[in-house]
Amino acid sequence: MEVSLTDVGDVTVTTVVGSIDGLTAGGLQDTLEARIHAGRNQLVVDFAAVDYTSSAGLRTLLAVMKETRRAGGDFRLAAVRPDVHRVLELSGFTSILKLFAGTDEAVASFQAGSGR
Amino acid sequence: MTTRHGKKVALVLGSGSVKCAAALGLQNVLQREGIGIDLVVGCSAGSIYAAMIAAGHDPASTADTARRLWTRELTSQRDHLAMLRALLGRLLGSGGTFGMRKDGLILDRLRVAFGDLAIEETRIPLFITATDLANGEQVILSSGRVVDAIRASISIPYIFKPFKHGGRLLIDGFMSDPLPINVAMEEGADVIIAIGFESDHQKRFNTLGAYSAQLTAIMANNLLKARFAFHNLTHHSEVILIVPEFEQRVRLFDTEKIDYVIEVGARAAEKQLPYLRRLLELEAAEVGG
Repeated sequence: MEVSLTDVGDVTVTTVVGSIDGLTAGGLQDTLEARIHAGRNQLVVDFAAVDYTSSAGLRTLLAVMKETRRAGGDFRLAAVRPDVHRVLELSGFTSILKLFAGTDEAVASFQAGSGR
Repeated sequence: MTTRHGKKVALVLGSGSVKCAAALGLQNVLQREGIGIDLVVGCSAGSIYAAMIAAGHDPASTADTARRLWTRELTSQRDHLAMLRALLGRLLGSGGTFGMRKDGLILDRLRVAFGDLAIEETRIPLFITATDLANGEQVILSSGRVVDAIRASISIPYIFKPFKHGGRLLIDGFMSDPLPINVAMEEGADVIIAIGFESDHQKRFNTLGAYSAQLTAIMANNLLKARFAFHNLTHHSEVILIVPEFEQRVRLFDTEKIDYVIEVGARAAEKQLPYLRRLLELEAAEVGG
């Protein structure tokens, strides 16, 4: 899994390439929590190149989501592939997270004032 | 019993009538990869396949058995007395056991398939779930005759009457959890491979039967998601979820589609295989090191 970060105004866009699973999720969690602790609590994760999410991966996403919200921000997903979307839906994530078609829309949603 | 990779691996087969044959596609893939299973959990029709796998049958012979066992004839024998009781319960006394079809044929076929095999005699530890009609609680059957446990687990509401077992009236396992991952968690499984199925929604609700089926499907699907979400987030290791996507509609007794269902199950399993393989290889290395 590869992770890269880009700041767009107050929003940090994280691009993940590969699989978010029990073998990789720890690194992603460390990276994102470091950003939150640095005061960046508006996070968008670009899922366009995420091809797999396991239960351990989902637990990591949940932990990061809770951390951003505790810090007064939010955690949003963009460009989720159909297979991964299905897992998110069955696990209840689509009912607690905001999902967008692309990163531009996700970033704009924060700028539109709905960033909690 | 722990397989060579050092982790306890469980297979959980959810409810889904003929769709449950997808588990055989999964079994084929696991066998080819040499991935052993330490315990099997089955619910509703999934309990039939779970019992076959636990008893040591190969996928081909299980598919043959399923073709003979699960046919439309099972529901062809109407239980007229039960129907009368459903309508005139106060006059005739229903005993709380509404079931519009006789269960003699399914019991006979289950006896042919499993004989007097006991759950505690299966090669791989087996757990079958049903639901207590009195209070809705999940009932985990881990001893006694396989035939009785399966019959209890497939007590499809309104079709087969509840089954008396161990002093309780048991109904279909899906009523308490269509994908009982919790049993594998409770039994100490690390990696849980779960194959689940959403119920199809009805296209029209113009009969009482279709309306009732739609209500049941809505409840079952929401229950599946709620329970899976909880188990997924609370398990200490991995739950590998396999949800076969069927392009063709597969109805309750479309037994002639078993080959297609197996193929879809195998395809869905192949998608999960790269991660499963990496996960177990890494764990083998940890055990070895």
